Amino acid sequence: MNRSLVIVLGTLALGMVMFGGSYAVSRHVGERCLTQPGNDLAWLRQEFHLNDAEMARIQKLHENYLPQCAAMCQKIAAKKMEVEAALNGATNVTPVATQKLAELAALRAQCQAQMLRHFTEVSQTMPPEQGRRYLAEMQRITLGLHEQTEQSMSISAGDMHGHN
Amino acid sequence: MNKENMNPADEKLGALLRASRVSPALPPRFQENVWRRIGDAEAPVLSRSRLSWLDALAALVLRPRFALATVTVLIIAGALLGVRDGSQIARRDAQTQYLAAVAPAALR
Repeated sequence: MNRSLVIVLGTLALGMVMFGGSYAVSRHVGERCLTQPGNDLAWLRQEFHLNDAEMARIQKLHENYLPQCAAMCQKIAAKKMEVEAALNGATNVTPVATQKLAELAALRAQCQAQMLRHFTEVSQTMPPEQGRRYLAEMQRITLGLHEQTEQSMSISAGDMHGHN
Repeated sequence: MNKENMNPADEKLGALLRASRVSPALPPRFQENVWRRIGDAEAPVLSRSRLSWLDALAALVLRPRFALATVTVLIIAGALLGVRDGSQIARRDAQTQYLAAVAPAALR
């Protein structure tokens, strides 16, 4: 291999190392500087450009909501255990298991409604445009996944009908 | 055979022999072979031009001003891209943290 080729290839390799090193270091530093561990509401401030007064109101709503959310989660976890117990060892779905499943679904719906009410309250403490964006984003994230699941299930069900 | 040693009496015979010489037919694919040889002869010229191009590039990258400018551009580009990606990752992490707090995984 001639000398010029070695120089050109070496320079390219060195350039890639410098670019990669600079990228890795700055990405790490950027990530560390902007991450605020332990602050659940940091995203709201960054994303919706909220001031201190708005953040204080949201913080209060958040603190009121968390115990309600935790209580609902406990109820759902307990109901799930009841469903598992009702299904455990059964060869078919008993009326008791059906009843427990319905109760679990009702609890989940109750929890979801409570969550959406909280999102609405939070959105009302924001400037109108940001509030609309927040509410749309939260509904998209929390309800959109269900829609995706339902859509994928309806597509696969459609495929099955197509094969029949 | 030496020309000086030739017998003048044989001149007639020589003329006869020259007259009877038949010009041979061209071998098969003569023209193609000629072009191939011309191509072979030009090949070193091409490799020389490639070599000079590489030499010029090598000389360019070894120039201090060019090297400094390149290093600066690469470092700045890498840093900008890194900061952009880092902030996106941090934003995604913060969103995940908020969602984990307000929206139980069982509902998402």
